Amino acid sequence: MTPAHGPSDGPARTAGARRSPAAAGRAGPAAARRSAEHRRRRRATLAAGVLLYTVLVAAAAAFLLPYYLIARNGLSTDEEITSPEWTLIPGSLQWSNITDLFAGPGSLMATGLWNSAVVAVLQTGGQLLVCSLAGYALARIPYRHAGAVFYAIVATLMIPAAVTFVPTFVMVSSLGWVSSLRGLVIPMLFSGFTAFLFRQFFLNFPAELEDAARVDGLGYWGTYWRVVVPNSLEFFAAIGLITFIGSWNAFLWPLVIAQDAESWTVQIVLSTKITAQTIDLQELFAAAMVSVAPLVLVFLFFQRYIVQGVTETGIKG
Amino acid sequence: MRGQDRTGSAHTRRRFLQMAGVSAAAAVAAACGSDTGRGGGGGGLSHWYHQYGEDGVEEAVRRYAAAYDRVEVSVQWTPGNYDTKLLSALQGGSPPDVFEYQTKADLVRAGTLAPLDDVIGDAKDDFSAASLASHTFEGSVYGIPQAVDTQFLVYRKSLLDDAGLEPPTSFEALVDAARSLTEGDRKGLFLGNNGGTDVLGPVPLWSNGLDYVTDDHKAGFDDPAAAEVFGGLHDLFESGALLLGAPTDWSDPSAFLQGLTAMQWTGLWTLPQIEEEFPGDYGVLPWPAFGGDGSASVPVGAFGAMAYADGPMVEEAKEYIKWLWIDQTEYQEDFNLGYGFHIPPRTSLAEKADELASGPAAEVVGFVDGLGRPSSPPEWTPAMDSAYKDALTNIIKSGKDPEGELKAAAGTVQGELDKIFG
Amino acid sequence: MPASAPPLRRRIGALLDRPAWAFWVFAGPFMIGLAVFSYIPILWSVYLSFFEARNTVAPSEFVGLRNYAQMLTSAAFLDSLLTFTLFALFIVPTTVAASLALALLVNRARWAQPFLRSVYFLPAACSYVVAALIWKLSIFNGVRFGLANTVLGWFRAEPQAWLSVTDPPWYWLVLVTLRLWLQVGFYMLIFLAGLQRIPAVLYEAAYVDGARRGWSTLRHITLPQLRTTTAAVLLLNLIAAYQAFDEFYNVLGSDGAYPPYARPPLVYLYYTALGSGQDFGRGTAGAVILALLIAIVTLLQGRLLGFGRERT
Repeated sequence: MTPAHGPSDGPARTAGARRSPAAAGRAGPAAARRSAEHRRRRRATLAAGVLLYTVLVAAAAAFLLPYYLIARNGLSTDEEITSPEWTLIPGSLQWSNITDLFAGPGSLMATGLWNSAVVAVLQTGGQLLVCSLAGYALARIPYRHAGAVFYAIVATLMIPAAVTFVPTFVMVSSLGWVSSLRGLVIPMLFSGFTAFLFRQFFLNFPAELEDAARVDGLGYWGTYWRVVVPNSLEFFAAIGLITFIGSWNAFLWPLVIAQDAESWTVQIVLSTKITAQTIDLQELFAAAMVSVAPLVLVFLFFQRYIVQGVTETGIKG
Repeated sequence: MRGQDRTGSAHTRRRFLQMAGVSAAAAVAAACGSDTGRGGGGGGLSHWYHQYGEDGVEEAVRRYAAAYDRVEVSVQWTPGNYDTKLLSALQGGSPPDVFEYQTKADLVRAGTLAPLDDVIGDAKDDFSAASLASHTFEGSVYGIPQAVDTQFLVYRKSLLDDAGLEPPTSFEALVDAARSLTEGDRKGLFLGNNGGTDVLGPVPLWSNGLDYVTDDHKAGFDDPAAAEVFGGLHDLFESGALLLGAPTDWSDPSAFLQGLTAMQWTGLWTLPQIEEEFPGDYGVLPWPAFGGDGSASVPVGAFGAMAYADGPMVEEAKEYIKWLWIDQTEYQEDFNLGYGFHIPPRTSLAEKADELASGPAAEVVGFVDGLGRPSSPPEWTPAMDSAYKDALTNIIKSGKDPEGELKAAAGTVQGELDKIFG
Repeated sequence: MPASAPPLRRRIGALLDRPAWAFWVFAGPFMIGLAVFSYIPILWSVYLSFFEARNTVAPSEFVGLRNYAQMLTSAAFLDSLLTFTLFALFIVPTTVAASLALALLVNRARWAQPFLRSVYFLPAACSYVVAALIWKLSIFNGVRFGLANTVLGWFRAEPQAWLSVTDPPWYWLVLVTLRLWLQVGFYMLIFLAGLQRIPAVLYEAAYVDGARRGWSTLRHITLPQLRTTTAAVLLLNLIAAYQAFDEFYNVLGSDGAYPPYARPPLVYLYYTALGSGQDFGRGTAGAVILALLIAIVTLLQGRLLGFGRERT
C-alpha cells in the first residue's frame, strides 16, 4: 500500500513546479528581472541542497562508524587496537582472529552461534504462527467475547515484557526449563505486540478476497491458509525479520534463563567476555564481528520489507 | 481418509485430540520439576572449576582427574560468573561434589561445607599461614588451598630514577611519586579502571591499623582512621595522577607494558610478561602504610578444594581431595607454576620452585610470607563485600562523605555478622 | 467444488465455522501461552512476594508485607527509580528530536534517499551488547587514543576517563549516545511514513496564501500533522526506556558486580533476584511494584496523549 497523497518531498517539488510555467509565460525586462531572481533562487536552492547533503553524508558516516570500528578492530592485532597511532586499515588483516574463535573443542563462540540460530529460527516461526492466528481471529472472526480477549491482550502491553522477567523466570524455572531450549524459546512466543500488529494488518486486508473464498465454500481456516496468508507474505516477512533480529539480539531473557554455558546464546558469550576481568581485545572484536555480520547481511537484503511494514501498519498521521 | 465411515473417523479424530491433550498436559506436569529447574547427574564425582585465564589449565585439571582411578571424576570447567553459579547450585539446585571456592562463614553455618581436618592432617604445618587462615573457620579447615595469589605494586625503575624518586614506602610517598611521574600520555599510578574500589579490598584498612572485622566480630572500619585513608584515595583519584579508563583492567599488565602508567597494582601472574618486556627495569612493592598504626601489606587469596557436605559421596570426595591436593605434589606444582604464575601454598613446594627463587618473584614470596593477610576471610560474606565496595565507590569516585558512607556500610556488615555469630 | 468436498470435511468445516470454535482454534494457542507466561507468572509472583524465598522459587516462610517494605525503603531501589527518570529525561526528547530532524532532512533528499534511509536504519541490526562493546572499549575508553578522546585532542581538550568518573557523570553521555545510535533509524522511518502521509494540498494551499518554504510550513503544517506520530514515538520510546538493561549491564557492569550509581530498576532487580543474593521474595516484590508503577504511568500517558482509543 503506497501513501495515498503527495510526492515524497512535497514542498520542494510543488514550489518548483509552480514557478517555471509562470516565469516562462512573459517576455521583456520584467522577464529578465524575474529570471535573474529565478537564478538567484536556484543558487540558493543549490546551496541549500549542498548543505543538506553535507549534513546527510556526515550523518551517514557517523552512523556507519561503529560498524567500521568493529571490522577494523576485529581484523587487527591487540597492539594495533591499542596503539597510539591510528591506522585506518590494519597492516595485515588478521583473519586468524576469526578462525581462532572456533578453534579447540567446546568453542564457546560456536555453541553460542548455534544456540542463537536455533532459538531465532524457532522463535520467529513460532511467533509468526501463533500471533498471526490470534491477530486474524481478533480481526475477522465475529466472536461474542472477542472484545474482552482483545483487552486482555492490550492489558499485557501496558507492562513491558522485560519488567516481568522475574515473575516469568519463577514460572519457567518451576517448569524445569532453566538452561533449556524450551525455556529460551517458548516464553517469548506470545508477544501481545505482534498479535496487535497482525490484527491491525488483517483489519486492513481486502475483504473481497475473503468473500470470494467464502463463496467457494472455504471456512475460516481454509480462507486463512489459502487466501489471506499467501497474499500477506510481505507483511509476514517484515514481522518475521523484526522478530528474527530481536531474537538474535536478545539479552536479558537469555541471560536469566540460559545459565549453563552449553545453552548460552552468542550475546551471552559476548557479554561474558566484555565484563570479564581480563579482556582479550582482538578476540572480543572478532567475536562481535562474527555475531553482527549475519544480521547485517540479512538486514541489507530484506530491510525493505521492514520499511514497507512500518509504512503499512505504521502510525497513521 | 476421505469417503470412509464418517462417524467412525470423526470419533477417532476426537479421541486422538483428547489423548493428545491429555498427554500434553501430562508432559507439562512431568516437566514441572525442581526449584531451580535442573536435573542431576549420576555416577561418579562432579568437580567444578572456574575458568582460569591461562591456557592449558583446563587440560591439566582434566588430566589430574583422569589419573584418579578409585572413582570416576567428571570436571566441569565453568565460564562466566562462577560465584553466582556455584552458590545457586550449592543452595538450591544440583551441587557439585567437589569444587574450588573460598571458605565462607554463611556456607559453613548452612552446613554446606564438609570439614577437612582429617584430610589435611599433618600436612597442615606445610601450608603457609595466610592461605590456611583463609580456609579456617572456628578452628576447622574447610578447604585445601590450591594456589596462592597476591597483588602488589610494580614500578618502572628507570622512570623513578629519572625523576629522582625512591621506591615509595609510605602512602604519602606513593601519592607524591604518582604525581611526579604523571607527564604527557603517561600517568603515575594505575589501580584499575575503577580507581582501586574493586580490587584493593581490605588493604587500605590494613595500612592504617584497621581490618574488615575485629576479633570480637564487629565491623572494623567505622572509624575516623578509615575515613582518612579513603579520603586520601579520593584525593588521589581526583588528582589526575591515576590512569583511568584503560582498555584493559588492573589484572592485565598491558597498561604498564605500554608505558601508559609508571606504577601499577597488579597480580603475580603478570610478572613473566613484565620480565619479558622490561628485564631488570622493574621493582615490586607492598602497599605502603598510611599512618603510624598501619603497616605495609599484600592481600593473599587462595581458592581451596572443598567438598559438599550433604552429597551422596562425601567420603569419596574427601579422599579424592586428599589424593590430589595433599598427596600429588607433582600435580600441585604443575598447577601452580606450569601455566600461570601462582605461589604454591605449601612452603616445601614454594621453596623448591626455581621461578620463585630469585629476582622480584622471590621478593613477592617474601611479601606474602611476611606481610600477607587473607584478602577475603571466612567471616566476610558477599553481602558485606558489596556493601563495602559500594561505600568505597561512593567515597573514592563520587566524593561523598567518608564517615557517613562507612557508617552505613558498617551497619549492613554488622547485621550480617550478627546473623552469623548470633 | 463444494459438491465434491467430502461430507466429513464439511462437517469439521461447519463446526469450525461457528465463530466461537473458530476463534478459539485460532487464538487458543496464543491465549494459553499468554496465560501461562504472562498472567499466571504475575499472579504467582504477587503470591511469592509475601514469602521469604532465597535461592529458591518456592515460598518458605510467610512474611507478609516485609519484602515490600524493604523494597520501598531501600535507598538502592529508590535510586534506581531516579536513575530511570533521569535516563528517560535524557533519551526520550533527544531521540524524538533527532529522529524527526533526520526524517525531515531525508524527506527533502531526492537523490539516494533509499540508500540514506538504509544507512540510518542499519544500526537496528546491531545488538545492545555489541554496541556496548564498541562504546566502552573503542569510542569512550579513557586513554588518549580512544576515539572520543582523540576528538577532544583536536580541540586541545584534556582526555577524559568517560566511564571511570562519576563527577561529572560522563557515563550518561556514553549510554545516551549508544541508545540514540541504535534507535534513531527506526523512529526516523516512522516519522518518514508520517511525513509522506501529509497531503500535498495542505502545502500548496499554504503557498497560495503566501507562506514560504521553511520554518513556517514546518511549524504550522508539518508538526501539527505529525502530532499522532510524535505521540506514538514518544510512547514507544518511553516503553523502551523502561526496559533499559542490556547496555547498562554491559557498559558499567564488570565481573558480576555493578557500581551503586546509574543502576536502572531492571538491573537492580536482576542483581537482587539472580545475583549472589538470589532473593526471590524481594525480587518479585520489586517486580510487582515496578509493574504497577509502569502500568499507571502508561495509562496516564495514554490518557494524556489521547492514545489507544482510535485503535479499536
